[in-house]
Amino acid sequence: MVATDLAVRSSGLARSFGDVDALDGFDLDVRTGEILGLVGPNGAGKTTFIRVVAGLLAPDEGEIEVLGRKPGRVTAADIGYMTQAAALYEDLSLRENLGFFGRVYGLSRAQIVDRTAELVSLVHLEGEEDRPVRQLSGGQHQLANLTCAMVHGPTLLLLDEPTVGIDPVLRRSLWERFASLRDAGITILVTTHVMEEATRCDRVAFVNAGAVLTVGTPDEVSAPGDGSIEDAFLAFRDGREEPS
Amino acid sequence: MSRARIGALAARIVRGFRRDPRTLALIVVVPLVVMALIGYLISDDREPLRVAVASGESNETCGAIVSDADAFRAAMAAQPGIEVVEVTTCDEGIAKIESGELEGVVEYPVIEPKNPIATTRVIVAGTDPRVEEPIVRAATIALAAARGSPLEPGEVANVAVDRVDVPGGERPSTISYSAPALITVFAFLFTFMLTSVAFLRERSSGTLERLLASPITRAEILSGYLLGFLGFASIQALLVLAYSTLVLHARIEGALWLVLLVIAVLVIGCVNLGITLSFFARNELQVIQFIPLVLLPQIFLGGLFWPTATLWPPLQWLSRLFPVTHAVSALREVMIAGGGLADVARDLAALAAFALAMVGLGVLVLRGQRA
Repeated sequence: MVATDLAVRSSGLARSFGDVDALDGFDLDVRTGEILGLVGPNGAGKTTFIRVVAGLLAPDEGEIEVLGRKPGRVTAADIGYMTQAAALYEDLSLRENLGFFGRVYGLSRAQIVDRTAELVSLVHLEGEEDRPVRQLSGGQHQLANLTCAMVHGPTLLLLDEPTVGIDPVLRRSLWERFASLRDAGITILVTTHVMEEATRCDRVAFVNAGAVLTVGTPDEVSAPGDGSIEDAFLAFRDGREEPS
Repeated sequence: MSRARIGALAARIVRGFRRDPRTLALIVVVPLVVMALIGYLISDDREPLRVAVASGESNETCGAIVSDADAFRAAMAAQPGIEVVEVTTCDEGIAKIESGELEGVVEYPVIEPKNPIATTRVIVAGTDPRVEEPIVRAATIALAAARGSPLEPGEVANVAVDRVDVPGGERPSTISYSAPALITVFAFLFTFMLTSVAFLRERSSGTLERLLASPITRAEILSGYLLGFLGFASIQALLVLAYSTLVLHARIEGALWLVLLVIAVLVIGCVNLGITLSFFARNELQVIQFIPLVLLPQIFLGGLFWPTATLWPPLQWLSRLFPVTHAVSALREVMIAGGGLADVARDLAALAAFALAMVGLGVLVLRGQRA
């Protein structure tokens, strides 16, 4: 990875799909080693931005730099991408899924064995690693999905709504994992429309209609309202507060 | 039983179809295309078989005696599906069978005054049983016409059939003739169907998105799919071959590696065709709808049941674009006629061109998934 204080630097991003402007003047920097939460309603442009960062979409306009480089194949090895859908081979076991994605990222057999043990233990799926993924519960699916995004030891993790369909206990446990990953030096860019989750991020970006309304710590962005992030977001969205 | 619930369910199915215009169109288009093809192929509108009626006096090879030559010739020409071509000798006719200009030669009959049964000889290439039957039938009827009286019920006209040693010599059994077509259709159907469904799942489950976000290249994705399916298709082809030869006693005159090479090149095209078409389908149902549209015209026009030479010329041209046509032709050449690499070079080149075009399309649709 190229040494830089910013894991992601973007300005003036625009991307449209037909008549829909998914990104429309999107400016956001993600600092190295932080958890930055993209918070906004469905269709706000969160996933589009994540896909631009992952190198899956080229912006129509604007500048984007990920880990000091233009996103694409060169940055792919340093990025872990957890998609909204489980994105696992359901007929294979978790171990086989990890083995496959590990080989895609060029890991050796020995590295795959080590990483599998490490990740299975990280998400507490010991004993489940040899069952076909389709037999895992919804929450276990998400955990397995997370391990596959991390198999190659990325320095930047892109998590697209990682806690959808997960019960509160597991959700809390997942966020504790994210925090420990951050403490280990991994940058995390996570999307959510669950306002409560935003309080667990180091910084939060309110996103609406393809643009960033404001960025700051949870306390900073919720300060103008009556203290709740949800009210603060609605206030920004309705234009009662000027974006900072 | 609740009529309301049953009605609600039926209405939901109808509404689903109405929202899916492609399925609706295919429900109408597929049977029409298939019926048009079958209707055309079972009618007598196909291009006639080119048959020479060898004239007698200069005909040393055949040694026929001209009797009522004009009547016989006219009777042959009057048969549906037969076009009479002029040659001077049987040898010239045989040379034209070998070069593919003719499907058969019929000798002028020997009609002996004391023998009420006339005899004639039909010469056809040894490798295509489908042309023999209509030519023999036409010769039999023409023979009766030349004799001046139609055949009585149960009377057998004396029509001897000689098979020219081009390109395969002895007439193959029906299974020998069918084995190349079966191998081709199995390989095509299996590879196309499984690749398109597998790739559709890759896309809908999100694993393709994850792969495209990784350092893997499009060429690596296509090659990986190819390698995976090539192995299965080869095993399948070997099974069909083994069963055809060991149990059904089909012939394989040529080299096994050449048979596998033809299948391999066909499969490369099919894998990429499957990947390409999977991008135009939203679900497995839509993939299955592509099968009759993609496969049936190739089965009907690819020379499996009717020689492509007997098709209406625009359809002949169309059949030359089909990979199945070239695969069946090449496999028959190798398996029945014992042809070598040089004999199937044109068919292999056509299959390779199809494969290249499909690889190009596969790369294009994959590129559309990223950026």
